[in-house]
Amino acid sequence: MIRGTASDVTRVGNPKSFPRLRALSAARWRRFDPLALLGVVVMVAAWHIASRFVAGSVLPSPFNVAKRIVADFWLARELAYYGLGNTGLFGSLVFTGVNVLVAVFAGSLIGIAIGLLAARSKWLGPLVQPVMMTVGTVPTLVVAPFFLIWFGVGRGSSILLVLMYSAVILYVFAQRAADNLDPVFEDYARTLGASPRRVIRDVLIPGTVPQILGGIRIALAGAWGIEAIVELLGAQQGIGKIVSVLAQSIDIEGIFAALIVLGIAAVAFDVLTATVIRRLAPWSPAAIRHKE
Amino acid sequence: MNRQLSLRGQLAASVLVLLAMAGGWQVLSLIYTAEAAPGEPLVPGWQVLFSHTFQLLADYWPGGYGVPSVAEGAPRSYTAAALAVLLHSWDTMLRLYAGFACGALGGALLGLAVSWSDWSRRLVNLPLQFLRTLPLLAMVPLFELWFGTYFAGKVLFVAYGVGVIFFAGVINAVGNVPQLYIDYARTLGASRLRLYWTVIIPAILPELRSSILLSLGTAWAAVLGAEYLGAQSGIGYMIEYASQFGYVDRMFLIALVIVVYASISYALFNRLASMWLVWTPGAHPRERSG
Amino acid sequence: MSSVIDGSTITASNLSQRFKRADGQLVNALASVSFTIPEGQFVCLVGPSGCGKSTLLQIMSGLLAATDGTLEVGNKRVTQPAPQRGVVFQKDSVFPWLRVVDNVEYGLKCAGLAKAKRREIAEHYLERVGLSQVGRAWPRELSGGMLKRVAIATVFANGANVLMLDEPFGALDYVTRRQLQEVLLTLWGEATDSGRRRTVIFVTHDVDEALLLADRILVLRGGRLVDDLPVSAPRPRTTDSLLRADLVQAKHTLLNHLGLERSHA
Repeated sequence: MIRGTASDVTRVGNPKSFPRLRALSAARWRRFDPLALLGVVVMVAAWHIASRFVAGSVLPSPFNVAKRIVADFWLARELAYYGLGNTGLFGSLVFTGVNVLVAVFAGSLIGIAIGLLAARSKWLGPLVQPVMMTVGTVPTLVVAPFFLIWFGVGRGSSILLVLMYSAVILYVFAQRAADNLDPVFEDYARTLGASPRRVIRDVLIPGTVPQILGGIRIALAGAWGIEAIVELLGAQQGIGKIVSVLAQSIDIEGIFAALIVLGIAAVAFDVLTATVIRRLAPWSPAAIRHKE
Repeated sequence: MNRQLSLRGQLAASVLVLLAMAGGWQVLSLIYTAEAAPGEPLVPGWQVLFSHTFQLLADYWPGGYGVPSVAEGAPRSYTAAALAVLLHSWDTMLRLYAGFACGALGGALLGLAVSWSDWSRRLVNLPLQFLRTLPLLAMVPLFELWFGTYFAGKVLFVAYGVGVIFFAGVINAVGNVPQLYIDYARTLGASRLRLYWTVIIPAILPELRSSILLSLGTAWAAVLGAEYLGAQSGIGYMIEYASQFGYVDRMFLIALVIVVYASISYALFNRLASMWLVWTPGAHPRERSG
Repeated sequence: MSSVIDGSTITASNLSQRFKRADGQLVNALASVSFTIPEGQFVCLVGPSGCGKSTLLQIMSGLLAATDGTLEVGNKRVTQPAPQRGVVFQKDSVFPWLRVVDNVEYGLKCAGLAKAKRREIAEHYLERVGLSQVGRAWPRELSGGMLKRVAIATVFANGANVLMLDEPFGALDYVTRRQLQEVLLTLWGEATDSGRRRTVIFVTHDVDEALLLADRILVLRGGRLVDDLPVSAPRPRTTDSLLRADLVQAKHTLLNHLGLERSHA
């Protein structure tokens, strides 16, 4: 925090020496905690030790799983055996990943638009709010069997389901963000000559971006699981399909391999989203309405 | 500029919307009268849903208590249907709440233990983030293969999902306790243990409220997902079994039941949380000044 | 004091503001307030908490519509906010998502000025308030006093000829407050491009601040205008100015109005 001390500014336009801006990036070094890396090592070690005491068919060792990931990466023999084409962990991951990203993106746009509009509009808000809240109480998985019957077992059902899930989450986040945005910013902008359209563009959107991005991160995290379970319920492709097939032959090692690959993808996108949030919104908590 | 309806207004609006949707459904059923089988329309109106379709649920009653099952040749009856719904609901509720309780308690205790020392917290951080981001629902087959498809397996699955959330939530909340309270307690002479018990734990409760509601959603997804993929009882099982025959009308009725249970559980947890957290500053937001 | 109504004379006639509280009761925030403020005057609005001074300022800036009565600036009714009537709010209103210099430029951007011209004006006023070093900083890196400087620079840069400030220095420490008062007075002392001084309406509950700054003090109490004090001490005013007999008398009058003193001979 920069503070101009009493002795620094004695006259208008004649400041004495000014304390230098502390580089924001200086904080970045504090984030690489060596103990955290040690934690990962400890976890893998614990896993390895545990796998020694239990049969390999129940808890495979980390090395075996790693080998399996490499082996199955481009071509998973099990799937070919079951006549499902030449694909491996990577190809299935791409299928699953594309579904998730497209659905979350589309659903977020819808949710954000409705949420912001509902918060701003006098009549739309009370109309949309109960609808969204009702839809929100329905556990997403309840809708899954219906979608599978109506839209078949292809990409359509899973994308639609994740889309619905994301839209509800982003609606809540966008609406809450717009509601919590301190009205002083809009008043200030208007006294500076901003038109209503400018107010939406220059105040409402930047002011709600941090919370909205947080909502996208949360929606993305849950989306992987929903996509996975829809695939488990009867898709023909995707990581879920691989797990489902391997489960039939009680191939725990293979399941571990598939789940870890999925997990790494989920974590990677989560970290990516978090980085985007940090870059795009360096002002984050400051826009929240001041407490009375 | 009061843009928000009062609480009563919002409740009224919600009820109106629900009634409107129900009415719309009824209109739809009158327009779209195609039938999957004689007497079983694809879009059954409410009168059909609560009579004929409800009776169809008797198919899921395995028999007992003097009421024979349809599989044994008995005719469908309201009693059997009601018993079927009760039985399967009980199974699901048990799994849900038992799993939630175990997971919440276990996760919270583990979180408190890990937060005791700065070292353990930093050690656990990255693995925990990884576990938290790992998609829970993808692990249903794994848990099934490990623990079977019976009660214990499902409870463990729900407990794991809830536990991870509470574990992470407690660690996060302990880290966010304002240093001010800790300093204050120490200047009053509190020992480390007493500090933990009388300051930290109450101080994290408001933040845990969001963990509670979040993990309730996860618990529902976990229990339903587990029942879809390998169960012999439970309302999730009922829906999945019906979907395999394409009985959309039965599915719809069961879905309504699930939604009612889910709403009740959210309302219940919300009420409980409010009761326990009545002392929180900000629990009763003051009105905007004019 | 001229009574000719020219470009920026502010005329309030019977302004009243009623609103409904959460429990349904009607509250009179303002009751029949009337006054005329000629161009270039520095007016302080003083009163105890809840007397309606912030409400009055909101009406004067066009952010709030009065339930009764009219407000005119230069013979035109005020119903909407406009860049000619700049406001410095009590809370920190500087946009957290724009850097300092972009904040100061904002009004000029809305008016459609070219980038180079905007930047020139913004940097000029940043220098006038002593913040030329932090143009590229984010608002969250600045202290409260510096954020107020940014807000002041912004309304001056935007070419407002009526400035309204709602207890702008209330949350700051004494030293910072005195510094910012000086900044404001210096900027106000300079004429605009058209050769006239800006009008300033300054809301405060600090009596000393009002006596140091104002040409005229309007006292509000319970939503009513209860007094209109001229302050004719010569400028520039110093700490010693507060010891002048006429200002001491004015202070007693004000403290009396605020309920801190009984009637004093």
